[in-house]
Amino acid sequence: MLVNDCMTRHPILISPETPASEAQKIMSENNIRHLPVTGAGKRLEGLITRQSFALAPDVLASLDVWDITRYLSGLNVKNIMLSGDKIYTITPQKTVERAARVMNEHKIGCLPVIEDGSVVVGIITESDLLDALQEMLGMPEKGVRVTMRMPDRPGEFAKLSEALGEHMMGVIGIGTYPSRRREGYWDVVLKIRKVSCPEVDAVLSKIPDQEIIDLRDVV
Amino acid sequence: MAETSTDSKRKGAPVLNIENLSVAYKVRGGEIEAVQDVSFDIYRGETHGIVGESGCGKSTVAWAIVNFLGANGYVKRGHIKFQGQDLVGRTGEELRRLRGDQIAMVYQDPMQALNPSLRLGDQMKEVLTVHRDMAEDEAEERSIQMLDRVYMPDPANVMKRYPHQISGGQQQRVVIAMALLNNPALLIMDEPTTALDVTVEAAVLDLIAELRRDFDTAIMYITHNLGVVARVSTRVGVMYAGEMVEKGTVEQLYENPQHPYSQGLMRCVPKLGADKASSILYPIRGRVPPPDSRPAGCVYGPRCDYIEERCRRERPKLRYLPNGVAVRCHFAEEIDPSQWRPSEDLELPTVGREDGPGQTILEVKDLKKYYEVQGGSLRDMVGVADKRYVKAVENATFKVDKGRTLGVVGESGCGKSTLIKTIIGLEDTTSGEAVFMGFDVTDDISTRDEKLIQELQMVFQNPDSTMNPSYSVGRQIARPMERFKTVPKKEIRGEVIKLLRAMRLGENYYNRLPRQLSGGEKQRVGIARALASKPDLVLCDEPVSALDVSVQAAILNLLLGVQHEFNTTLIFIAHDLSVVRFFSDDVAVMYLGQIMEIGPADAIYAPPYHPYTEALLSAVPIPDPKVEQKHIRLEGSVPSAIDPPSGCRFHTRCPRRQLLPDGGKICEEELPPWREIGDGHRIFCHIPEETLRTFDPVISTENIPVTKQSQPLKQGS
Repeated sequence: MLVNDCMTRHPILISPETPASEAQKIMSENNIRHLPVTGAGKRLEGLITRQSFALAPDVLASLDVWDITRYLSGLNVKNIMLSGDKIYTITPQKTVERAARVMNEHKIGCLPVIEDGSVVVGIITESDLLDALQEMLGMPEKGVRVTMRMPDRPGEFAKLSEALGEHMMGVIGIGTYPSRRREGYWDVVLKIRKVSCPEVDAVLSKIPDQEIIDLRDVV
Repeated sequence: MAETSTDSKRKGAPVLNIENLSVAYKVRGGEIEAVQDVSFDIYRGETHGIVGESGCGKSTVAWAIVNFLGANGYVKRGHIKFQGQDLVGRTGEELRRLRGDQIAMVYQDPMQALNPSLRLGDQMKEVLTVHRDMAEDEAEERSIQMLDRVYMPDPANVMKRYPHQISGGQQQRVVIAMALLNNPALLIMDEPTTALDVTVEAAVLDLIAELRRDFDTAIMYITHNLGVVARVSTRVGVMYAGEMVEKGTVEQLYENPQHPYSQGLMRCVPKLGADKASSILYPIRGRVPPPDSRPAGCVYGPRCDYIEERCRRERPKLRYLPNGVAVRCHFAEEIDPSQWRPSEDLELPTVGREDGPGQTILEVKDLKKYYEVQGGSLRDMVGVADKRYVKAVENATFKVDKGRTLGVVGESGCGKSTLIKTIIGLEDTTSGEAVFMGFDVTDDISTRDEKLIQELQMVFQNPDSTMNPSYSVGRQIARPMERFKTVPKKEIRGEVIKLLRAMRLGENYYNRLPRQLSGGEKQRVGIARALASKPDLVLCDEPVSALDVSVQAAILNLLLGVQHEFNTTLIFIAHDLSVVRFFSDDVAVMYLGQIMEIGPADAIYAPPYHPYTEALLSAVPIPDPKVEQKHIRLEGSVPSAIDPPSGCRFHTRCPRRQLLPDGGKICEEELPPWREIGDGHRIFCHIPEETLRTFDPVISTENIPVTKQSQPLKQGS
């Protein structure tokens, strides 16, 4: 899955000259947490997040109540947005895992997706990645979810898929990771549709050297 | 992928949110509210259809979104929110910034959107170089990619051409490609396929559906064609007289229309799936009121069959029914469309005449019409070069019996109109025989006997351009009577009024001028004029294509009634296959000047088909989202008639050629034989009848519930 497949296209964009109060209104009305700031030709100039509205206390402390109002009304998007190297971006042809890693590394909640240097074509956020995770594990559809533990050597997965193929079982979600509990083993999560738990148990428990460590039909 | 929970979650806020929108035009002596109280939302990756007859305010809504209302138009009330930000009440500069390049429009006529004096490539590149500051060569590359994306053949070459050098369907693709170059969030399409042939239209509609998925664009699709809406939309709003009278999902609307107007619309479009007897059209009486004279209560009241006192008094509000459909009708829950009966004053034609074939009135044999092409070379000018011809009609052979209707269908440029122009004598024939009631009609009209001219009359597509604007209706109709002396001079006026009455037009129309008539009324006058000389054969060239569906239904029923009353024979040209089926006893399918298949109407619409007929049928948009249609799309465009393909003219695009040995080599080399299927049904194809019979029907109607119309139909007068 590439960024192109799971990003949100046509995000709401805002121009740098918009008053900050309006940006705040747009975000709360549309229930979004990130707002890319663009100039002509949808070119990225900055990014507004919920934190952008948290003003530094020392700025406000020096003002009296009336000055605060004036100060706030004069505030534009370009005064509060993140810009320059504080924004991390990604292109549509990168993988989702790369997007996840960038976001994780920098502890950020979204990446504007850009093309042609700086033209915004979409945005990928934490929720998009969580959606992608659900989809990859076959969440939207009903089925049996099984976790198999198998030794870390070539040919083990082939045994599993052979067994599945023999019984015409359709896999709609899959994920693997090195076993947390047992060194030298991998856990494979599969979601299989149109079968019942006993059917899956009967087929997969017979595979030599592998074991079913979790089996459920309610995810 | 099916609509899943993640999908709906991903949708988020609507791209376009229109709330209680009213648009008014300032005119002399006040203002006119063209659109009132329209509300709808469009989400990412969704196509929202807007349907309604002309003059219902569909385009006005679209123009309001892009602030294209003209100097005297303005948004009177309501909000237009695009991407969460209100567009109403902003200055031009602000709007430009808000909308930026995020809204694109595609109009009906692609030539209006393309600059005829610039190469297509330059026009496309400009979008990118101006809006995105892209370098020239990069823009070129991107444009070519996009042309490829909309399945334009040979895109690099198309970039160098001028708009007039490509076909209409291709022009529309260029416009769509241009609209998508900027990756807009909202695409407004205003009747984008109305001017295209069915086969091209089908391809463009497929393309729109595909692009919507790929680019996640929100599409607002305006059309009057219920079949097209059923094919492309996810949700639909029905507009009538400036108001949204019903909105819901496509399935809801087509299965169970709630508003009497939606129900009426459904009843006046011919359905290809149903059999002929049940495809009676029930026109809606009256017509859409102009914006300045809308009734006080329910706007649809005067045309509604269920009108009650409350409808006259109180304007209904748009309200939501339990199933999520919004409808603007006081009595939506109480109205059961299956209980609907045509009202007493509605004229319905008789169907299923069982009088069998009468005497043959017109017999055409091997009729050819070639036009000489003037070459530009010196050899041409001196006259020594080989003459080249446009072979507009090739070996047409058919006969028409008295009192029956022959329908002629085919894409534009297939020679339908040339065929009837030749018969009526507006063009002389190149060779072949055409015998009409014992007279030879291969010669030009100027040499014909007056008696013969009187027996052959024609109804044209566009009544505007065939009527003298300064002659009153009565005079227009009286003229043929005077000319042919079919009626004594003193009785002409009475006779004209009789004809007007037969056209349901009343005596008060006698002194009106064409500009005082609506499109449907003009066409009625056109038909009356054609019938004035009491002809035996009337040739109709697309008489209903330019009309709204409800008017179309009335005109078709009228023609059927007239035919029944006067026992007139008709040749009926149309590009709409569903109309032809409803209307005709026999159908001829033409391709590139050649009749490909001819036979009784019901036989044409069921296997065995000619592969071309099969492709045409699979392209027809059917106003029922549940009907399953085979997916056959013809590649490329109709070849030039100057140099038609050798052998079978259809071989370059035939999807069934592979059924023959050698990949259909014989199709390129030899003219196909006429295969007699029986009962006058003939197919011009190399593929043997047994194979043709194995084709599955294009339209599977298994899922369609039989419409409850058991009561005997009223006999037409």
